[in-house]
Amino acid sequence: MPQYMLLLYDDPSTWRSISPEEMQKAVEKYVAWSKKPFTLDGKRLAEDPGRVVRSHGNQPRATDGPYSETKEVLGGYYTIEAANYDEAVQRTFDHPHLEYGGTIEVRQLFEE
Amino acid sequence: MSAAVESGILLEHLFRRQAGRIVGRLARLLGPARLDLAEEAAQEAMLRALQTWPHQGVPENAEAWLLRVAHNAAIDAIRRDRVAGEKKEAIVAELTRSATINPSDPDFEEQLRDDELRMIFMCCHPEIPRDSRIALSLKAVGGFGVREIARAFLADDQTIAQRLVRAKRQILTRHLTLDMPRGPELRGRLDAVMEVIYFMFNEGYAAHEGEDLIRQDLCLEALRLGRLIAATSIAAPRVHALVALMALQAARLPARVDEAGDLILLEDQDRGRWDQQLIALGFHHFDRSMAGDEVSEYHAQAAIAATHARARAPNPQSVDWPCVLDLYDQLLEISGSPIVALNRAVVVGKVHGPGEALSVVDSLAVDPKLRQYYLFLAVRGHLLLQLNRRVEAADCFGRALQGRCSEPERRFLRRKLDECSTGSLRP
Repeated sequence: MPQYMLLLYDDPSTWRSISPEEMQKAVEKYVAWSKKPFTLDGKRLAEDPGRVVRSHGNQPRATDGPYSETKEVLGGYYTIEAANYDEAVQRTFDHPHLEYGGTIEVRQLFEE
Repeated sequence: MSAAVESGILLEHLFRRQAGRIVGRLARLLGPARLDLAEEAAQEAMLRALQTWPHQGVPENAEAWLLRVAHNAAIDAIRRDRVAGEKKEAIVAELTRSATINPSDPDFEEQLRDDELRMIFMCCHPEIPRDSRIALSLKAVGGFGVREIARAFLADDQTIAQRLVRAKRQILTRHLTLDMPRGPELRGRLDAVMEVIYFMFNEGYAAHEGEDLIRQDLCLEALRLGRLIAATSIAAPRVHALVALMALQAARLPARVDEAGDLILLEDQDRGRWDQQLIALGFHHFDRSMAGDEVSEYHAQAAIAATHARARAPNPQSVDWPCVLDLYDQLLEISGSPIVALNRAVVVGKVHGPGEALSVVDSLAVDPKLRQYYLFLAVRGHLLLQLNRRVEAADCFGRALQGRCSEPERRFLRRKLDECSTGSLRP
């Protein structure tokens, strides 16, 4: 079955003013979604701007990540299985990330 | 792996409870002047949980995990802080030591309870403005959020946030500590703490929309704090009276509204729905409140609640009303509160009939504030309706409806108003 990558973007500051009780509800929802049978893999990215490496006249050089200027950062990803794009998109609809104001980018993995 | 860990469903209120304990512990180690830092570390730990648990699973001991991560967050924050070098190292060493304590060690559990106790006693320090004490207690000890506190008190977020700021400023400028007060100071502080707990309970107990569970949480938090103090050596008999009173009243919570969210009066409640565990807890503390010869307002209130709880039969006649009236006489003598006097008048009606109760109520009308109070008008209307003086009763209910009351109370008053014009008369 085709595999899709879900890239989760969010604004980390949204979580700063949330109460412990609400935080627990959010954790429970995220954990529940991660246990869905079509989820193959998922990771959280470290909370830093990361690095971007480019070549400047044959000289590779690293700079701070692309997100230092924007509020929404790539925070994690999942790999899921779905029959096609429609189904992959459909499967994100009940992801709590959307309820908490985040964005999900869906990309199909290339298959031979 | 346990079923709870497997399903990812956590113990109810685990984060809220743990946030309170983390803040208590860290504030003890960091000093109360860094209360904000302690709160941020707790928040940071919960954020980490959100980031990692969905991918790595819920840890076997979630409480210990949160506590450890919060300690580490506090260590990082202190390292970044501009504290003087030597002091910084000492704090970091203390935090590091505390972070490595085995959380299942019963001594550590005892320490955490002690931290909580000290924290609530500081929250009720006389240097902290009265209206800030309860907000700070709920935030720092109860783990409630600003928005939740605001919702429970029907206040806006800004008001609550300001109360917290004021409280924290006092902690800082008055150099408040987490040391337990001693001697005569302890007595006064204990009374202030009990006042905050009782206020918290009453606010939660006040009639409300059935779906707004936050207020029920307030009752349970007040009960928890009362029990926390009752379990220590500073528990005076009046502390047990307060816990008894709260437990016996909270036992009625499930029976107080019907499925439509409408109020059910005490005498019409299905006693089968009263929480038997809370009743047993209430009587346990009620017995313990009898040690010594102290008689406080809480004692009289607890005795009244106990009399209601003893009447097991579905028949409301089984309540020993003359006994309740005696208790109200005592309570009125101690407190002198016009609200107590009004409640007493209702009991006079049960014992001596609505006519006598009405003359008691009318004698209270000299108090201009009470005269306008919607519950005063509701009680007066109720008695007039029983005496079949329907026009005057309708006038009372109509004016009561103009007061500030909750939606279920409003519906109740409208029903009574309708009864004034229809033939159906309730005994």
